[in-house]
Amino acid sequence: MAAYGSYSRSNYGAGGDQDAGGGFMGATQGASSQADKSKYADDTLRPVTIKQILDASEDYPGADLKIDGQGITQLTLVGQVRAVQPQATNVTYKIDDGTGFIDVKKWVDAERAAAAADSDSEHFAPDTYVRVFGRLTTFSGRRHIGAHFIRAIDDFNEVNYHLLEATYVHLVTTRGAPGGDGAASGGGGGAQHDGGGDSMFVDGGDGAGGGASRARLVNCSKPAQTMYRFLATTGGGEGVHINDVAAGTRLSTNQVAAAADELLGQGLVYTTIDDETWAVLDY
Amino acid sequence: MDKSASTPRITSAYLNSYVNKNVIVVGKVIQLRGDEALIDADGSVTAHLNREAHLSAGNGVQIIGKVNPDLSIKVLSSLDLGTGVDFSLANTVVEISHQHRDLFV
Repeated sequence: MAAYGSYSRSNYGAGGDQDAGGGFMGATQGASSQADKSKYADDTLRPVTIKQILDASEDYPGADLKIDGQGITQLTLVGQVRAVQPQATNVTYKIDDGTGFIDVKKWVDAERAAAAADSDSEHFAPDTYVRVFGRLTTFSGRRHIGAHFIRAIDDFNEVNYHLLEATYVHLVTTRGAPGGDGAASGGGGGAQHDGGGDSMFVDGGDGAGGGASRARLVNCSKPAQTMYRFLATTGGGEGVHINDVAAGTRLSTNQVAAAADELLGQGLVYTTIDDETWAVLDY
Repeated sequence: MDKSASTPRITSAYLNSYVNKNVIVVGKVIQLRGDEALIDADGSVTAHLNREAHLSAGNGVQIIGKVNPDLSIKVLSSLDLGTGVDFSLANTVVEISHQHRDLFV
């Protein structure tokens, strides 16, 4: 063991020819030491689809990009390699996950590139599925990912897993945790985490007024609960029309109509300007 | 980038809505007949393979191709996925990707 240790250390000193783990750590530390300290504390690793990256918005030109209103720092994505462009300082992969294309640049470790055989084996062949960890950067108007680490995917189910995870994170950030009440978007009801019914406090612990309503909501179907939460967060006094409910909740209009009947029956909502516009009954 | 860059994931039930468009189908190879393959993706899909295709019956496969008017698929690219593919998961992902279109298409 001691002999092995000294062997690898001397090798490192001579050629710097270490495994991928070493390179990855070095890259992370380099990036973080440059980054603003307070930003570093907020660092997250978010799973995304490429379409989310392309759709990411900036508040003003040059501002930090945001997905679902949340600043993005580190990302992970899964896609197929469509093109490989080895360059002097980096390898650029065009990655496609079925939702869009994006360039991923993997910087080549200069010392390791000297060992040509080693660097060749690092290129991923076209059509292989890979998982990428990296940071989103904009360079002269084009978005690309600066990859810390790329690995091939052996089990195809990871591709589907990633898509579901990206969707899950999107839903949690936009609507709040499952059973919760849209913590991210909930202006009206910040801490109404009792809606899902898996809490001990079925009835209590709510914001003003809504306790009894929430208890009855537990007995309603999923679409009805979704609709109620949507109305509670977005609806004003005039209520929300069936089409807007359908668009906002991604339910079909038929589902919304059924959900509305259910909520009306429970006395949780009431119709306002016409039979297809509802508002939350608050008392 | 524009919308045409996306390739929706579909199952056989969605073929109708994607004629002349490029799609991704994940399914199980039921039968191989020359350059034609029968694939089960929540219902059967006929795929016209290209020369590069190397599929084996019983394995999972991902095909990317264009939906013909007769609802068969002209394969542009295919990927053998081996045997460990969870098909019900793949079908669920298709449903999810259609429910949350702003993430996927």
